[in-house]
Amino acid sequence: MTATKQKPILVVGAGIAGMTVALEAAEAGREAILVEKEPAVGGRVARIHNYFPKMCPPACGMELNVRRLEKNSRIRVLTAAEVTRADRSGVGWKVTVRQEPQYVNARCTVCGDCEKACADTVADPFNFGMSKAKAARQFRPDAWPRRFVLDKDAIADGGKTVKEACKFGAIDLDAMPREESFDVSAVVLATGWHPYPKEKLPELGGGVCRDVIANVEMERLASPSGPTGGKIVRPSDGNPPKRVAFVQCAGSRDVNHLAYCSGVCCLASLKHAGYVKEQIPDAEVTIFYIDRRTPGRNEEVLAKISALPGVKLVKGKAGKVESTPDGALKLRAEDVEAGRIAEGVFDLVVLATGMESNLKGAALPFGTALDPDGFGLDDPEACVFVAGVARRPEDVAASVRDATGVAARAAAAARRS
Amino acid sequence: MSVSELNPSAGFREELAARGGATAARCYQCATCSSVCQLAPDDGPFPRRQMALAQWGFGDELVSDPAVWLCHQCNDCTVRCPRDAKPGDVMQTVRSLVVEKLAAPSFMGRLVARAGSTWPLLLGVPFLFWVAALYGVNGLQFPAELKGFREIVPHWLIYVVFYPVSGLAALAMLVSGVRFWNMLGSRAARSGSFFGNLIPVLIEIATHKRFGSCEAASSRRWGHFALLWGFVFAAATAGFAVLAETVLKTATPLPLVHPIKLLGNTSAVLLLVGGAIVVYNRLIGGNRTGASTAFDNFFLGLVLLLIVTGVLTEAGRFAFPPALAAWVYIVHLTAAVSLFVTFPYSKFAHFVYRALAMVHERMARPQGV
Repeated sequence: MTATKQKPILVVGAGIAGMTVALEAAEAGREAILVEKEPAVGGRVARIHNYFPKMCPPACGMELNVRRLEKNSRIRVLTAAEVTRADRSGVGWKVTVRQEPQYVNARCTVCGDCEKACADTVADPFNFGMSKAKAARQFRPDAWPRRFVLDKDAIADGGKTVKEACKFGAIDLDAMPREESFDVSAVVLATGWHPYPKEKLPELGGGVCRDVIANVEMERLASPSGPTGGKIVRPSDGNPPKRVAFVQCAGSRDVNHLAYCSGVCCLASLKHAGYVKEQIPDAEVTIFYIDRRTPGRNEEVLAKISALPGVKLVKGKAGKVESTPDGALKLRAEDVEAGRIAEGVFDLVVLATGMESNLKGAALPFGTALDPDGFGLDDPEACVFVAGVARRPEDVAASVRDATGVAARAAAAARRS
Repeated sequence: MSVSELNPSAGFREELAARGGATAARCYQCATCSSVCQLAPDDGPFPRRQMALAQWGFGDELVSDPAVWLCHQCNDCTVRCPRDAKPGDVMQTVRSLVVEKLAAPSFMGRLVARAGSTWPLLLGVPFLFWVAALYGVNGLQFPAELKGFREIVPHWLIYVVFYPVSGLAALAMLVSGVRFWNMLGSRAARSGSFFGNLIPVLIEIATHKRFGSCEAASSRRWGHFALLWGFVFAAATAGFAVLAETVLKTATPLPLVHPIKLLGNTSAVLLLVGGAIVVYNRLIGGNRTGASTAFDNFFLGLVLLLIVTGVLTEAGRFAFPPALAAWVYIVHLTAAVSLFVTFPYSKFAHFVYRALAMVHERMARPQGV
């Protein structure tokens, strides 16, 4: 142990993995800087309706983590910020972080007056653009840091009206981007993932048929904070779907798309079947799969959902989804167990698309090496570690476990500095 | 169940792999291929099932499976296959194994199946035969001015060679065809008349409608279509020419505007266009056209040689010195003999096997497709 103050650990990405790394490290006595690209923490998990296997809403775990964050003075959180430069400095790194202009400052009380005064809208990034949101708004319900965001460029009068509407003087239209440099002992990349774009699957109707949605969009449809207030409906006509199909491995385990299995989509679709049956009890749900990958206690979810009346699992990957003239969707697959083609007509088709690492194809200031699938590899020599889905595809629980381990490794590496 | 009850044909997987079907091992049975195939019937989808049989080495099962021939290798399956297992290539390889296994006599099947190394023999023997025959007939002396090709190769020699060669090839094809038909019959009960079902199949072949439903290699339909009709017209030309000479005693060479000449030239144009499309597709195709094995290349090469030397022969009478025109003509005759002799054992035989499989399919499914 040295007497001098230890340099902090830099954590990039404040999703469930990044938050966990920062919290575990800080609660073990380290300093941490948590940098998040979005205006609020929470990442992908915040966009999930319920997560398996216990089907808890993300608010549970997330609220607990936010309270841990607020309480812990060893963690500094920078939202709407990105690492723009990184150079080796001794054992660790010297990094520059650029933060977008903070048009809404800490005086904000989340009263909502600016939102009411704002006439302009944007495609809501929190809901994958499935709905419109005001240009002045809370990023998502319960967003933390607890303050509004302002998409200044989307506001016709440059923000004058909303500024006048704010009673607390929390809006600063002249805010400038800020750059700050830090000396850090170790770096943890928890940059997460993005859904494989359904537009790359036009043969399955992705980006072609309006009622072909991705699994992540199903989460938003089912969520009370989603674009429909939690009602599962067809995007084209707003009606509840009576016939729903799930296409497993849509763009996964496929050399033409993602070569690997994301490991969560089987469970996600079973869960979604549960959402549908809960809201629309007489709905017919068919899941077209190659393998049902539900290891461990997830097997219970499979048993429970597949026993529901009106839920059918068909072995055989769907090869084609097309619109029919009357606005429904025609899906073609081989029912392998029956040895014949199963052609079905559906109201809604959900593509179980996989997780693609955000490190793949990204500019990597830390020189991080990637595996052939685009997931990051630890570089202990350089004190750079990778956590969560940036490291490998996994579910929320595994991501949290993984992040805890990474926190320990990063802290150990930091001790050398 | 014991291993012998499963009865995978010994060595079949290795055989398949060596002949161009090694990618079958990559298949994980997702069934994308069957679902995107436009040709597979709903109650007997392929090629997912055939890929499983190939992986397990069930050679007997595969070789007697009519679905293998219903496939036109348009490669919609291969393009979409998530494992790059190339079902289109595997099906094509199985077809080449069927042709070899049912060959009569069997050594000819083996010889042509290994055309990658035996092609010098398959072309060289007919070439040496023509050179020797012409040496015997006219000492390989060519006239100073060429009025017609009968001055180089007398027509009686053409008849003496091609009647027995085509007769033997037809007999060998008939034997293999009967073997194939009986093999299919041992798997599924058939009903209805053979000829009654042959007519719609021939109409289908003549129009290439099924081919048209393929997506990945749609341009291939027209290449294949032009080659088919080019061959049909060429055969008709030959038939009419024989009739004209032997029955009507028409003087040769025929004038360029003679109907038989026009028919012959139409077939040449069709063959040239078809051949060009097929070659172009193979050059740019990648997964859309599939791998080209020795089995494919020998047949295609032979057809191209026949077409090109045929056109050059016709032009050569006017444009080339007689000796050059004569040698081009000898190469043309070489290609023709080689094509006739190898017909029942080369890719050419798919015409018979596929037609039979399509008739079988109709008769084994009385409701039709």
